[in-house]
Amino acid sequence: MRQPVLQVQDLSVERSGRLAVEGVTFALAPESDTALVGPNGAGKSTLVAALLGLVPRRSGAVEILGQPLGIDGQLPRAVRAQIAYVPQTLALQGRFPLTVAEFVGFGFDPPGLRLPWKDQRNRHVAVQQALQRTGCEELGQRLLSELSGGQLKRVLLAFCVVRPRQLLVLDEAQAGLDAPSNEHFQQLLFNLRRQEGWTVLQISHDLDMVRRSCDQVLCLNRRLRCSGSPDHALSPQSLNELYGPHMITYRHQHHG
Amino acid sequence: MADAAALASILAEPFMQRALVGGLLTGSLGGLLGSFAVLRQLSFFSDALGHSALLGITVGILLGINPTLVLIPFAVVFALLVHQLVQRSALPTDALLNIVYSSSLAAAVLALSLVETYRGGIQQLLFGDILGISWVDLGVIGGLLLVALLYLSLSLRAQVLLTLNADLAGAMGVRSGWHRLAFIVLLAVVVAVSIKAVGVLLISAFVVIPACAGRLLSRRFPVYVVSSALLGGGCALVGLLGSGLTNLPSGPCVVMVQFLGFVVALVISQSTRRSPAVAGPGGRQILGGGPAAPEPH
Repeated sequence: MRQPVLQVQDLSVERSGRLAVEGVTFALAPESDTALVGPNGAGKSTLVAALLGLVPRRSGAVEILGQPLGIDGQLPRAVRAQIAYVPQTLALQGRFPLTVAEFVGFGFDPPGLRLPWKDQRNRHVAVQQALQRTGCEELGQRLLSELSGGQLKRVLLAFCVVRPRQLLVLDEAQAGLDAPSNEHFQQLLFNLRRQEGWTVLQISHDLDMVRRSCDQVLCLNRRLRCSGSPDHALSPQSLNELYGPHMITYRHQHHG
Repeated sequence: MADAAALASILAEPFMQRALVGGLLTGSLGGLLGSFAVLRQLSFFSDALGHSALLGITVGILLGINPTLVLIPFAVVFALLVHQLVQRSALPTDALLNIVYSSSLAAAVLALSLVETYRGGIQQLLFGDILGISWVDLGVIGGLLLVALLYLSLSLRAQVLLTLNADLAGAMGVRSGWHRLAFIVLLAVVVAVSIKAVGVLLISAFVVIPACAGRLLSRRFPVYVVSSALLGGGCALVGLLGSGLTNLPSGPCVVMVQFLGFVVALVISQSTRRSPAVAGPGGRQILGGGPAAPEPH
Protein backbone atom coordinates (compact mmCIF):
# COMPACT_ATOMS: atom_id res chain seq x y z
CA MET A 1 0.00 0.00 0.00
CA ARG A 2 1.32 3.44 -0.94
CA GLN A 3 2.13 5.93 1.81
CA PRO A 4 -0.62 8.56 2.35
CA VAL A 5 0.21 12.00 0.98
CA LEU A 6 -1.31 13.61 4.07
CA GLN A 7 -1.82 11.96 7.44
CA VAL A 8 -3.59 13.73 10.29
CA GLN A 9 -3.71 12.27 13.79
CA ASP A 10 -5.92 13.61 16.60
CA LEU A 11 -5.51 17.22 15.47
CA SER A 12 -6.89 20.05 17.60
CA VAL A 13 -6.59 23.73 16.69
CA GLU A 14 -7.51 26.87 18.61
CA ARG A 15 -8.63 30.05 16.90
CA SER A 16 -9.53 33.32 18.63
CA GLY A 17 -9.31 31.60 22.01
CA ARG A 18 -11.74 28.76 21.27
CA LEU A 19 -11.28 25.21 20.09
CA ALA A 20 -12.19 25.40 16.41
CA VAL A 21 -11.06 21.89 15.44
CA GLU A 22 -11.01 18.98 17.87
CA GLY A 23 -9.51 15.51 17.63
CA VAL A 24 -9.55 15.16 13.85
CA THR A 25 -7.95 12.07 12.30
CA PHE A 26 -7.87 11.17 8.60
CA ALA A 27 -5.51 10.35 5.73
CA LEU A 28 -5.41 11.21 2.04
CA ALA A 29 -4.41 8.39 -0.30
CA PRO A 30 -2.22 9.33 -3.27
CA GLU A 31 -4.17 10.79 -6.21
CA SER A 32 -7.43 10.83 -4.28
CA ASP A 33 -9.95 13.71 -4.34
CA THR A 34 -11.33 14.52 -0.89
CA ALA A 35 -13.99 17.09 -0.05
CA LEU A 36 -14.17 18.80 3.31
CA VAL A 37 -17.79 19.80 3.97
CA GLY A 38 -19.66 21.32 6.87
CA PRO A 39 -21.71 24.37 7.88
CA ASN A 40 -20.26 27.88 8.14
CA GLY A 41 -18.08 28.25 11.22
CA ALA A 42 -17.46 24.50 11.39
CA GLY A 43 -13.68 24.95 11.36
CA LYS A 44 -12.99 23.92 7.75
CA SER A 45 -10.74 26.88 6.89
CA THR A 46 -9.00 26.59 10.27
CA LEU A 47 -8.31 22.91 9.65
CA VAL A 48 -6.89 23.64 6.20
CA ALA A 49 -4.79 26.51 7.60
CA ALA A 50 -3.38 24.17 10.26
CA LEU A 51 -2.60 21.49 7.66
CA LEU A 52 -0.69 24.03 5.59
CA GLY A 53 1.19 25.22 8.68
CA LEU A 54 -0.41 28.69 8.60
CA VAL A 55 -1.75 28.52 12.14
CA PRO A 56 -0.21 26.58 15.04
CA ARG A 57 -2.02 23.49 16.29
CA ARG A 58 -2.82 22.83 19.92
CA SER A 59 -2.18 19.09 19.77
CA GLY A 60 -1.98 16.18 17.38
CA ALA A 61 0.32 15.35 14.48
CA VAL A 62 0.38 16.10 10.77
CA GLU A 63 2.59 14.38 8.22
CA ILE A 64 2.91 15.52 4.62
CA LEU A 65 4.63 13.10 2.25
CA GLY A 66 6.03 11.30 5.26
CA GLN A 67 7.55 14.43 6.81
CA PRO A 68 6.19 15.78 10.10
CA LEU A 69 4.79 19.31 10.00
CA GLY A 70 6.52 21.40 12.69
CA ILE A 71 4.40 22.95 15.42
CA ASP A 72 4.94 26.38 13.85
CA GLY A 73 4.36 25.15 10.32
CA GLN A 74 7.92 24.23 9.36
CA LEU A 75 8.37 21.72 6.55
CA PRO A 76 11.46 20.74 4.56
CA ARG A 77 11.69 22.95 1.47
CA ALA A 78 11.41 19.98 -0.90
CA VAL A 79 8.11 18.95 0.72
CA ARG A 80 6.80 22.53 0.79
CA ALA A 81 7.49 22.75 -2.95
CA GLN A 82 5.09 19.81 -3.47
CA ILE A 83 2.12 21.74 -2.07
CA ALA A 84 -0.19 23.97 -4.10
CA TYR A 85 -3.02 26.06 -2.72
CA VAL A 86 -5.98 27.79 -4.35
CA PRO A 87 -7.44 30.52 -2.09
CA GLN A 88 -10.97 31.86 -2.38
CA THR A 89 -9.75 35.17 -3.72
CA LEU A 90 -6.78 37.51 -4.11
CA ALA A 91 -6.44 41.07 -2.75
CA LEU A 92 -6.66 42.94 -6.06
CA GLN A 93 -8.21 46.25 -5.05
CA GLY A 94 -7.86 48.78 -7.84
CA ARG A 95 -5.27 48.45 -10.55
CA PHE A 96 -2.68 45.82 -9.59
CA PRO A 97 0.37 46.10 -11.89
CA LEU A 98 1.05 42.38 -12.24
CA THR A 99 0.42 40.37 -15.40
CA VAL A 100 -1.00 36.87 -15.40
CA ALA A 101 2.29 35.49 -16.78
CA GLU A 102 4.28 37.17 -13.98
CA PHE A 103 1.94 35.77 -11.35
CA VAL A 104 2.08 32.23 -12.74
CA GLY A 105 5.88 32.59 -12.84
CA PHE A 106 5.91 33.07 -9.07
CA GLY A 107 4.31 29.61 -8.84
CA PHE A 108 7.30 28.18 -10.71
CA ASP A 109 9.91 29.60 -8.34
CA PRO A 110 10.83 27.38 -5.37
CA PRO A 111 10.43 28.66 -1.79
CA GLY A 112 13.19 30.89 -0.43
CA LEU A 113 15.09 34.04 -1.40
CA ARG A 114 16.38 34.29 -4.96
CA LEU A 115 17.03 36.93 -7.58
CA PRO A 116 13.95 37.40 -9.80
CA TRP A 117 15.84 36.94 -13.09
CA LYS A 118 17.29 33.55 -12.10
CA ASP A 119 16.18 30.59 -14.26
CA GLN A 120 14.18 32.96 -16.46
CA ARG A 121 14.22 30.81 -19.61
CA ASN A 122 12.87 27.69 -17.87
CA ARG A 123 10.31 29.79 -16.05
CA HIS A 124 9.09 31.34 -19.30
CA VAL A 125 8.65 27.92 -20.96
CA ALA A 126 6.88 26.48 -17.89
CA VAL A 127 4.55 29.50 -17.67
CA GLN A 128 3.56 29.25 -21.35
CA GLN A 129 2.81 25.55 -20.96
CA ALA A 130 0.80 26.12 -17.77
CA LEU A 131 -1.24 28.87 -19.45
CA GLN A 132 -1.91 26.62 -22.42
CA ARG A 133 -2.98 23.67 -20.29
CA THR A 134 -5.48 25.79 -18.39
CA GLY A 135 -6.87 27.57 -21.46
CA CYS A 136 -5.32 30.87 -20.38
CA GLU A 137 -2.84 31.37 -23.23
CA GLU A 138 -4.57 34.60 -24.31
CA LEU A 139 -4.50 36.00 -20.79
CA GLY A 140 -0.71 36.02 -20.29
CA GLN A 141 -0.24 39.77 -20.75
CA ARG A 142 -3.49 40.80 -19.05
CA LEU A 143 -3.39 42.34 -15.60
CA LEU A 144 -4.47 39.99 -12.84
CA SER A 145 -6.86 42.71 -11.63
CA GLU A 146 -8.61 42.82 -15.04
CA LEU A 147 -9.76 39.19 -14.99
CA SER A 148 -13.27 37.89 -14.44
CA GLY A 149 -13.90 35.49 -11.55
CA GLY A 150 -13.80 32.43 -13.79
CA GLN A 151 -10.59 33.54 -15.52
CA LEU A 152 -8.91 34.20 -12.17
CA LYS A 153 -9.74 30.68 -10.96
CA ARG A 154 -8.22 29.18 -14.10
CA VAL A 155 -5.13 31.35 -13.64
CA LEU A 156 -4.85 30.06 -10.07
CA LEU A 157 -4.85 26.52 -11.46
CA ALA A 158 -2.13 27.58 -13.92
CA PHE A 159 -0.16 28.82 -10.89
CA CYS A 160 -0.48 25.32 -9.39
CA VAL A 161 0.32 23.36 -12.54
CA VAL A 162 3.36 25.44 -13.54
CA ARG A 163 5.61 22.96 -11.72
CA PRO A 164 5.01 19.34 -10.68
CA ARG A 165 3.35 19.02 -7.27
CA GLN A 166 1.65 16.29 -5.32
CA LEU A 167 -0.84 17.92 -2.97
CA LEU A 168 -3.43 20.51 -4.04
CA VAL A 169 -5.57 22.24 -1.42
CA LEU A 170 -8.54 24.38 -2.50
CA ASP A 171 -10.45 26.71 -0.18
CA GLU A 172 -13.97 27.03 -1.61
CA ALA A 173 -12.68 27.40 -5.14
CA GLN A 174 -16.26 27.65 -6.45
CA ALA A 175 -16.97 30.80 -4.41
CA GLY A 176 -18.11 33.65 -6.66
CA LEU A 177 -18.46 31.51 -9.80
CA ASP A 178 -21.65 31.25 -11.83
CA ALA A 179 -22.87 27.78 -12.84
CA PRO A 180 -21.14 27.56 -16.27
CA SER A 181 -17.84 28.91 -14.89
CA ASN A 182 -18.04 26.46 -12.00
CA GLU A 183 -18.68 23.58 -14.37
CA HIS A 184 -15.74 24.66 -16.54
CA PHE A 185 -13.47 24.99 -13.52
CA GLN A 186 -14.45 21.57 -12.14
CA GLN A 187 -13.84 19.91 -15.49
CA LEU A 188 -10.43 21.56 -15.75
CA LEU A 189 -9.55 20.55 -12.18
CA PHE A 190 -10.66 16.97 -12.87
CA ASN A 191 -8.51 16.74 -16.04
CA LEU A 192 -5.45 18.30 -14.41
CA ARG A 193 -5.74 16.05 -11.37
CA ARG A 194 -5.71 13.00 -13.64
CA GLN A 195 -2.78 14.30 -15.69
CA GLU A 196 -0.70 15.53 -12.76
CA GLY A 197 -1.54 12.78 -10.27
CA TRP A 198 -2.53 15.41 -7.72
CA THR A 199 -3.96 14.44 -4.37
CA VAL A 200 -6.74 16.95 -3.80
CA LEU A 201 -8.29 18.28 -0.60
CA GLN A 202 -11.04 20.82 -1.27
CA ILE A 203 -13.37 22.73 0.99
CA SER A 204 -16.74 22.83 -0.72
CA HIS A 205 -20.36 23.74 -0.16
CA ASP A 206 -21.37 22.28 -3.52
CA LEU A 207 -22.60 18.87 -2.41
CA ASP A 208 -23.75 17.98 -5.91
CA MET A 209 -20.22 18.48 -7.24
CA VAL A 210 -18.80 16.54 -4.27
CA ARG A 211 -21.06 13.58 -5.08
CA ARG A 212 -19.99 13.59 -8.71
CA SER A 213 -16.25 14.24 -8.39
CA CYS A 214 -14.84 13.21 -5.03
CA ASP A 215 -13.66 9.82 -3.77
CA GLN A 216 -13.86 10.70 -0.10
CA VAL A 217 -15.84 13.16 2.03
CA LEU A 218 -14.92 14.53 5.45
CA CYS A 219 -17.88 16.05 7.33
CA LEU A 220 -16.58 18.56 9.84
CA ASN A 221 -18.37 20.45 12.54
CA ARG A 222 -15.50 21.13 14.97
CA ARG A 223 -15.09 17.35 15.17
CA LEU A 224 -15.16 14.94 12.26
CA ARG A 225 -18.84 13.90 12.25
CA CYS A 226 -18.56 11.35 9.46
CA SER A 227 -16.26 10.36 6.63
CA GLY A 228 -16.14 7.91 3.77
CA SER A 229 -17.48 7.65 0.25
CA PRO A 230 -19.87 10.39 -0.93
CA ASP A 231 -22.83 7.97 -0.90
CA HIS A 232 -22.15 7.09 2.71
CA ALA A 233 -21.05 10.47 4.07
CA LEU A 234 -23.70 12.50 2.27
CA SER A 235 -26.67 10.31 3.14
CA PRO A 236 -29.72 12.26 4.35
CA GLN A 237 -29.10 11.01 7.87
CA SER A 238 -25.45 12.16 7.90
CA LEU A 239 -26.39 15.56 6.45
CA ASN A 240 -29.09 16.01 9.08
CA GLU A 241 -26.52 15.32 11.77
CA LEU A 242 -24.03 17.69 10.18
CA TYR A 243 -26.22 20.62 9.16
CA GLY A 244 -29.25 20.10 11.39
CA PRO A 245 -32.78 18.84 10.72
CA HIS A 246 -33.68 21.70 8.32
CA MET A 247 -31.21 20.52 5.68
CA ILE A 248 -33.00 19.58 2.46
CA THR A 249 -30.88 17.96 -0.23
CA TYR A 250 -31.50 18.17 -3.96
CA ARG A 251 -29.72 15.85 -6.32
CA HIS A 252 -28.91 17.18 -9.74
CA GLN A 253 -29.88 14.64 -12.42
CA HIS A 254 -27.77 14.37 -15.54
CA HIS A 255 -29.47 13.18 -18.72
CA GLY A 256 -27.85 12.08 -21.95
CA MET B 1 20.29 83.00 -20.67
CA ALA B 2 19.83 84.55 -17.27
CA ASP B 3 18.08 81.39 -16.13
CA ALA B 4 20.87 79.21 -17.47
CA ALA B 5 23.43 81.35 -15.66
CA ALA B 6 21.38 81.18 -12.46
CA LEU B 7 21.10 77.41 -12.82
CA ALA B 8 24.85 77.06 -13.38
CA SER B 9 25.59 79.18 -10.35
CA ILE B 10 23.22 77.09 -8.19
CA LEU B 11 24.72 73.85 -9.44
CA ALA B 12 28.20 75.09 -8.56
CA GLU B 13 27.28 75.33 -4.88
CA PRO B 14 28.44 72.26 -2.88
CA PHE B 15 25.35 72.36 -0.62
CA MET B 16 23.14 72.27 -3.72
CA GLN B 17 25.11 69.36 -5.18
CA ARG B 18 24.63 67.43 -1.94
CA ALA B 19 20.94 68.37 -1.88
CA LEU B 20 20.45 67.13 -5.45
CA VAL B 21 22.16 63.79 -4.73
CA GLY B 22 20.17 63.58 -1.48
CA GLY B 23 16.93 64.33 -3.28
CA LEU B 24 17.66 61.73 -5.95
CA LEU B 25 18.47 59.06 -3.35
CA THR B 26 15.63 59.92 -0.95
CA GLY B 27 13.09 60.20 -3.76
CA SER B 28 14.18 56.86 -5.27
CA LEU B 29 14.09 55.19 -1.87
CA GLY B 30 10.60 56.56 -1.18
CA GLY B 31 9.33 55.43 -4.59
CA LEU B 32 10.93 51.98 -4.21
CA LEU B 33 9.47 51.27 -0.77
CA GLY B 34 6.25 53.08 -1.68
CA SER B 35 5.59 50.75 -4.62
CA PHE B 36 5.15 47.88 -2.16
CA ALA B 37 3.64 49.95 0.68
CA VAL B 38 0.85 51.31 -1.53
CA LEU B 39 -0.16 47.85 -2.80
CA ARG B 40 -0.08 46.53 0.74
CA GLN B 41 -2.28 49.45 1.86
CA LEU B 42 0.43 50.81 4.17
CA SER B 43 0.24 54.39 2.87
CA PHE B 44 -1.35 55.63 6.06
CA PHE B 45 1.19 53.66 8.06
CA SER B 46 4.04 55.71 6.55
CA ASP B 47 2.10 58.86 7.37
CA ALA B 48 1.74 57.75 11.00
CA LEU B 49 5.45 56.93 11.11
CA GLY B 50 6.30 60.38 9.76
CA HIS B 51 4.19 62.17 12.34
CA SER B 52 5.49 60.03 15.18
CA ALA B 53 9.05 60.92 14.12
CA LEU B 54 8.45 64.39 15.52
CA LEU B 55 8.00 62.77 18.93
CA GLY B 56 11.28 60.89 18.45
CA ILE B 57 13.09 64.09 17.54
CA THR B 58 11.60 65.86 20.56
CA VAL B 59 12.66 63.04 22.87
CA GLY B 60 16.20 63.42 21.51
CA ILE B 61 16.16 67.19 22.11
CA LEU B 62 14.83 66.79 25.66
CA LEU B 63 17.47 64.16 26.46
CA GLY B 64 20.20 66.29 24.94
CA ILE B 65 21.08 63.62 22.35
CA ASN B 66 21.48 64.28 18.63
CA PRO B 67 17.87 63.79 17.36
CA THR B 68 19.09 61.92 14.27
CA LEU B 69 20.62 59.23 16.50
CA VAL B 70 17.38 58.82 18.42
CA LEU B 71 15.15 58.84 15.37
CA ILE B 72 16.02 55.48 13.79
CA PRO B 73 15.62 53.30 16.92
CA PHE B 74 12.56 55.33 17.89
CA ALA B 75 10.92 54.82 14.49
CA VAL B 76 11.67 51.08 14.49
CA VAL B 77 10.30 50.54 18.00
CA PHE B 78 7.29 52.72 17.21
CA ALA B 79 6.61 50.80 13.96
CA LEU B 80 6.82 47.44 15.73
CA LEU B 81 4.47 48.59 18.49
CA VAL B 82 1.96 49.93 15.99
CA HIS B 83 2.26 46.71 13.96
CA GLN B 84 1.45 44.66 17.08
CA LEU B 85 -1.43 46.97 17.92
CA VAL B 86 -2.92 46.63 14.43
CA GLN B 87 -2.46 42.83 14.49
CA ARG B 88 -4.13 42.40 17.87
CA SER B 89 -6.87 45.01 17.78
CA ALA B 90 -10.35 44.43 16.44
CA LEU B 91 -10.58 48.08 15.33
CA PRO B 92 -10.09 49.13 11.68
CA THR B 93 -6.45 49.86 10.81
CA ASP B 94 -7.05 53.40 9.49
CA ALA B 95 -8.85 54.42 12.70
CA LEU B 96 -6.07 52.96 14.85
CA LEU B 97 -3.34 54.69 12.85
CA ASN B 98 -5.24 57.97 13.08
CA ILE B 99 -5.36 57.65 16.87
CA VAL B 100 -1.65 56.81 17.01
CA TYR B 101 -0.40 59.57 14.75
CA SER B 102 -2.59 62.38 16.07
CA SER B 103 -1.76 61.56 19.69
CA SER B 104 1.97 61.21 19.01
CA LEU B 105 1.90 64.53 17.15
CA ALA B 106 0.10 66.17 20.06
CA ALA B 107 2.59 64.68 22.55
CA ALA B 108 5.48 65.95 20.42
CA VAL B 109 4.09 69.50 20.22
CA LEU B 110 3.51 69.53 24.01
CA ALA B 111 7.05 68.24 24.62
CA LEU B 112 8.49 70.78 22.18
CA SER B 113 6.81 73.57 24.14
CA LEU B 114 9.02 72.54 27.06
CA VAL B 115 12.12 73.22 24.97
CA GLU B 116 12.93 76.91 25.21
CA THR B 117 15.06 77.15 22.11
CA TYR B 118 15.65 74.58 19.41
CA ARG B 119 18.25 75.80 16.99
CA GLY B 120 17.00 73.45 14.28
CA GLY B 121 13.68 75.28 14.15
CA ILE B 122 10.19 73.77 13.95
CA GLN B 123 9.94 74.71 10.27
CA GLN B 124 12.83 72.37 9.40
CA LEU B 125 11.27 69.55 11.38
CA LEU B 126 7.95 69.90 9.65
CA PHE B 127 9.09 70.50 6.08
CA GLY B 128 12.67 69.23 6.08
CA ASP B 129 15.95 70.88 5.24
CA ILE B 130 17.43 69.07 2.29
CA LEU B 131 19.89 71.91 1.71
CA GLY B 132 21.47 71.11 5.07
CA ILE B 133 22.14 67.47 4.14
CA SER B 134 25.72 66.29 4.80
CA TRP B 135 27.95 63.76 3.01
CA VAL B 136 27.48 61.41 5.97
CA ASP B 137 23.69 61.65 5.52
CA LEU B 138 24.15 60.86 1.83
CA GLY B 139 26.26 57.81 2.69
CA VAL B 140 23.57 56.52 5.06
CA ILE B 141 20.74 57.10 2.54
CA GLY B 142 22.79 55.52 -0.28
CA GLY B 143 23.58 52.48 1.87
CA LEU B 144 19.94 52.14 2.81
CA LEU B 145 18.92 52.30 -0.85
CA LEU B 146 21.31 49.43 -1.64
CA VAL B 147 19.99 47.35 1.29
CA ALA B 148 16.38 47.99 0.22
CA LEU B 149 17.16 47.09 -3.41
CA LEU B 150 18.90 43.87 -2.40
CA TYR B 151 16.21 42.77 0.06
CA LEU B 152 13.28 43.58 -2.23
CA SER B 153 14.94 41.91 -5.24
CA LEU B 154 15.69 38.73 -3.31
CA SER B 155 12.24 38.59 -1.73
CA LEU B 156 10.18 39.82 -4.70
CA ARG B 157 8.14 36.58 -4.92
CA ALA B 158 7.49 36.65 -1.18
CA GLN B 159 6.48 40.33 -1.22
CA VAL B 160 4.05 39.93 -4.12
CA LEU B 161 2.43 36.73 -2.82
CA LEU B 162 2.15 38.26 0.65
CA THR B 163 0.39 41.27 -0.85
CA LEU B 164 -2.01 39.11 -2.87
CA ASN B 165 -2.97 36.60 -0.19
CA ALA B 166 -1.13 35.83 3.05
CA ASP B 167 -2.41 32.23 3.16
CA LEU B 168 -1.27 31.60 -0.42
CA ALA B 169 2.14 33.03 0.48
CA GLY B 170 2.39 30.86 3.61
CA ALA B 171 1.35 27.71 1.71
CA MET B 172 4.06 28.46 -0.87
CA GLY B 173 6.71 28.54 1.86
CA VAL B 174 6.91 32.30 2.39
CA ARG B 175 7.73 33.18 5.99
CA SER B 176 4.93 35.72 6.08
CA GLY B 177 5.45 37.01 9.62
CA TRP B 178 9.18 37.52 9.09
CA HIS B 179 8.80 39.33 5.76
CA ARG B 180 5.96 41.50 7.04
CA LEU B 181 8.11 42.56 9.98
CA ALA B 182 11.23 43.07 7.85
CA PHE B 183 9.33 45.33 5.46
CA ILE B 184 7.84 47.42 8.25
CA VAL B 185 11.26 47.85 9.90
CA LEU B 186 12.75 48.84 6.53
CA LEU B 187 9.94 51.34 5.94
CA ALA B 188 10.44 52.77 9.43
CA VAL B 189 14.19 53.22 8.88
CA VAL B 190 13.62 54.83 5.47
CA VAL B 191 11.08 57.25 6.96
CA ALA B 192 13.43 58.08 9.85
CA VAL B 193 16.43 58.66 7.59
CA SER B 194 14.43 60.74 5.10
CA ILE B 195 12.84 63.00 7.73
CA LYS B 196 15.84 65.34 7.80
CA ALA B 197 15.56 65.96 4.08
CA VAL B 198 11.81 65.81 3.62
CA GLY B 199 10.24 66.75 6.94
CA VAL B 200 7.59 65.21 9.12
CA LEU B 201 4.58 66.48 7.18
CA LEU B 202 5.74 65.64 3.67
CA ILE B 203 7.42 62.26 4.12
CA SER B 204 4.32 60.25 3.23
CA ALA B 205 4.11 62.11 -0.11
CA PHE B 206 7.56 60.71 -0.99
CA VAL B 207 6.29 57.20 -0.30
CA VAL B 208 2.80 57.43 -1.78
CA ILE B 209 2.72 59.82 -4.78
CA PRO B 210 5.45 58.35 -7.05
CA ALA B 211 4.15 54.82 -6.38
CA CYS B 212 0.59 55.81 -7.29
CA ALA B 213 1.81 57.48 -10.49
CA GLY B 214 3.89 54.38 -11.32
CA ARG B 215 0.88 52.16 -10.64
CA LEU B 216 -1.22 54.10 -13.13
CA LEU B 217 1.42 53.85 -15.84
CA SER B 218 2.77 50.29 -15.51
CA ARG B 219 1.53 46.83 -16.29
CA ARG B 220 4.55 44.69 -15.44
CA PHE B 221 5.61 44.47 -11.82
CA PRO B 222 9.34 45.19 -12.22
CA VAL B 223 8.46 48.15 -14.47
CA TYR B 224 6.10 49.43 -11.79
CA VAL B 225 8.75 49.23 -9.06
CA VAL B 226 11.50 50.80 -11.18
CA SER B 227 9.23 53.54 -12.58
CA SER B 228 8.05 54.43 -9.05
CA ALA B 229 11.66 54.77 -7.90
CA LEU B 230 12.64 56.77 -11.00
CA LEU B 231 9.62 59.05 -10.66
CA GLY B 232 10.47 59.59 -7.00
CA GLY B 233 14.09 60.45 -7.77
CA GLY B 234 13.31 62.48 -10.90
CA CYS B 235 10.59 64.58 -9.26
CA ALA B 236 12.93 65.30 -6.35
CA LEU B 237 15.64 66.54 -8.76
CA VAL B 238 13.23 68.77 -10.71
CA GLY B 239 11.62 70.07 -7.53
CA LEU B 240 14.96 70.94 -5.96
CA LEU B 241 16.17 72.75 -9.06
CA GLY B 242 12.87 74.65 -9.17
CA SER B 243 13.27 75.49 -5.52
CA GLY B 244 16.82 76.74 -6.10
CA LEU B 245 15.77 78.92 -9.03
CA THR B 246 12.67 80.40 -7.38
CA ASN B 247 13.99 80.54 -3.82
CA LEU B 248 10.89 78.69 -2.59
CA PRO B 249 11.01 75.99 0.16
CA SER B 250 12.56 72.79 -1.21
CA GLY B 251 10.36 70.08 0.36
CA PRO B 252 7.03 71.57 -0.78
CA CYS B 253 8.50 72.25 -4.26
CA VAL B 254 9.41 68.55 -4.60
CA VAL B 255 5.97 67.42 -3.45
CA MET B 256 4.28 69.79 -5.91
CA VAL B 257 6.38 68.36 -8.74
CA GLN B 258 5.42 64.85 -7.58
CA PHE B 259 1.78 65.92 -7.60
CA LEU B 260 2.11 67.30 -11.16
CA GLY B 261 3.74 64.00 -12.17
CA PHE B 262 0.80 62.14 -10.67
CA VAL B 263 -1.70 64.33 -12.56
CA VAL B 264 0.16 63.68 -15.82
CA ALA B 265 0.13 59.92 -15.10
CA LEU B 266 -3.59 60.10 -14.35
CA VAL B 267 -4.32 61.93 -17.61
CA ILE B 268 -2.19 59.47 -19.62
CA SER B 269 -3.84 56.44 -18.02
CA GLN B 270 -7.34 57.87 -18.52
CA SER B 271 -6.74 58.84 -22.14
CA THR B 272 -5.29 55.44 -23.09
CA ARG B 273 -8.17 53.72 -21.30
CA ARG B 274 -10.77 55.73 -23.21
CA SER B 275 -9.24 55.52 -26.67
CA PRO B 276 -11.31 52.84 -28.50
CA ALA B 277 -8.71 52.48 -31.24
CA VAL B 278 -6.02 51.24 -28.90
CA ALA B 279 -7.70 50.02 -25.75
CA GLY B 280 -9.09 46.61 -24.87
CA PRO B 281 -11.84 46.44 -22.23
CA GLY B 282 -9.35 46.56 -19.41
CA GLY B 283 -7.40 49.48 -20.87
CA ARG B 284 -4.16 49.41 -22.79
CA GLN B 285 -0.78 48.93 -21.27
CA ILE B 286 1.44 51.96 -21.07
CA LEU B 287 4.82 50.79 -19.81
CA GLY B 288 6.13 47.31 -20.52
CA GLY B 289 4.61 44.25 -22.28
CA GLY B 290 2.30 43.88 -25.26
CA PRO B 291 -1.27 45.08 -25.82
CA ALA B 292 -4.10 43.81 -23.69
CA ALA B 293 -6.02 40.88 -25.14
CA PRO B 294 -9.81 41.16 -25.39
CA GLU B 295 -11.97 39.42 -22.82
CA PRO B 296 -13.06 36.05 -24.27
CA HIS B 297 -16.48 35.99 -22.56
